[in-house]
Amino acid sequence: MIRRLLLYCTVLLLFVSTGSCDKEDEYTTSPRENFEALWTILDEHYCFFEYKEVDWNQVYAAYKPRVNEEMDQYELFNLLGDMMAELKDGHTNLISSFDLARYWKWYEDYPDNFNEQIQKNYLGTDYHIAGGMKYKMLLPDSIGYIYYPSFSSGVGESNLDYVLYSFKDCSGLIIDVRENEGGSMTYSDRIASRFADQTVTAGYIVHKTGPGHNDFSEPYPFDLEPSSRIRWLRPVVVLTNRRCYSATNDFVNKMRLLPYVTVMGDRTGGGSGLPFYSELPNGWSVRFSASPILNADKEITEFGIDPDIQVNMTEEDIRKGKDTIIETALKLLKQAAERP
Amino acid sequence: MKNAALSVGIWLCLCCASLQAQTEEEKELRSTNEATLVGIGKYNIKDTYLSPINYNGWGLRILNERMKTVALGNYRFSRQQMLNIDVSFTDNPAETASAFSGFVDYTLNYHYRFAPQKDLKILVGPGVQADLGFIYNTRNSNNPAAAKVSLNLTLSAMAIYTARIREYPVTLRYQLDMPVAGGLFSPHYGQSYYEIFDLGNYKGVVVFASLHNQLACRHYVTADFPLGCFTLRAGFLNSSYRTDIHHIKTHVISNSFMIGFVKEFISFGGKKLKQKERYSSAYY
Repeated sequence: MIRRLLLYCTVLLLFVSTGSCDKEDEYTTSPRENFEALWTILDEHYCFFEYKEVDWNQVYAAYKPRVNEEMDQYELFNLLGDMMAELKDGHTNLISSFDLARYWKWYEDYPDNFNEQIQKNYLGTDYHIAGGMKYKMLLPDSIGYIYYPSFSSGVGESNLDYVLYSFKDCSGLIIDVRENEGGSMTYSDRIASRFADQTVTAGYIVHKTGPGHNDFSEPYPFDLEPSSRIRWLRPVVVLTNRRCYSATNDFVNKMRLLPYVTVMGDRTGGGSGLPFYSELPNGWSVRFSASPILNADKEITEFGIDPDIQVNMTEEDIRKGKDTIIETALKLLKQAAERP
Repeated sequence: MKNAALSVGIWLCLCCASLQAQTEEEKELRSTNEATLVGIGKYNIKDTYLSPINYNGWGLRILNERMKTVALGNYRFSRQQMLNIDVSFTDNPAETASAFSGFVDYTLNYHYRFAPQKDLKILVGPGVQADLGFIYNTRNSNNPAAAKVSLNLTLSAMAIYTARIREYPVTLRYQLDMPVAGGLFSPHYGQSYYEIFDLGNYKGVVVFASLHNQLACRHYVTADFPLGCFTLRAGFLNSSYRTDIHHIKTHVISNSFMIGFVKEFISFGGKKLKQKERYSSAYY
């Protein structure tokens, strides 16, 4: 009996294993096949179709007739880039060896609200650098000023210890994240945790569970926990403009929940979908929003977060070499310091 | 859960049977056949979590194998242990992106042995396989890698035949291993590793795997050639691993040519070492 059973198992093994190996070669430069591949990748993986009210089938119908086998690679690239721009998403790119298709309207159509030359009037040349942060005490008001231009530039726990300790005699702190287009959310969490006085639900993350446009998981909450190292529990103003995107949007989303924090400047650019990569048969890379991150009220912040206090740089201040947003933040922090 | 209990039960039975017959084994020393082979071959990899495109390239492999008859079933079973380590370096067809993979897997098989005729052995039996690995795509950011972790019950079959060519013995072997049920790790369709490991959402990332969502097989053909004081083993290993979990399709297919040496030895250890009349050691 046992022998017969084992014999049957052997036959089953041979049967199931037959033909289980293959080798496919999917390389093609065909414009039509690459168009189909791109449309399908986004159709199955992109996460904001419904939120942005984009009819992707309609986009297919509009763009497919414009694709033909006689197109050269540049024409195809431009056409596919235009199709992706229909998603109005700064995290969505087509990347080839010769160009990067992008959608940057989230800041291009708005005031800069930042001027590097004018910032030098505050930062000077004698500032300190810790990790990706530039920092300095602004006199005569003794207000701490941190400029963090990219969440792709690392900031270690030790960096933060030294930066915050150097401001121990300051009554207020400005964290300027204008022009910061994002990077790693690990740094966003690490920095924000230095300003938290208690654990708060900072937001929710959602992922797609299948290729359908509405195949989403239940929102999964994530917390912002206070750091166990040096923390800053005095007034803070976070300066924002339209170029605050992606991980910076996430940072602002966390900071705005904290009691000592005021967000000032312009609305952030958004970018609340965690981007994934894929690729086309011709080797071009595709980047797209794949996993939405929601705020603590379970709202999508893909199109940005409004500041607590809206401030734009004025022409008059620019002519005088003043940064209206920094000036307003200094005023606010001085007033806070003067309060009993 | 039931599968886990079943596999533990089989394990306990095998271990108990082995202990009961310990004294029998002491009467006749049973040798261990060990071989270590290195291999090189072609790899074909696709993981739709990383890319919908096939990546092709080459890889290296080290395979250590040990076989020994055991007391189970009155010495009608043999135990085989295989430790495999392999790495691969692959590119997409347009050669604009690269992927690296690395796998370590350990297989423990218990084979029932048939001897239908002289010089021919047929071995069939169950086993357990643990696998740990990754596929890393150099270009991706939030989905840069796919971790592969699995634990499976396997079925294994083997035929060993010793042919004699003008009195020169050549031992041929064909083996087929296949996982039939187990558990494996997989992120959800669009779930980032940031969500799993940084934010701690582990829900549903370990799933039951069987032939409906995991189809893998390892075909292994070898030939042993005695050469002076050594025995050379040459072989060909075809490995195919396919999964379809959470709408993520993966395959890792490799064909490797293997070469190495075999040794047959009697293992002394523990209380057997006290029987000093049975061996002469350079150390003890």
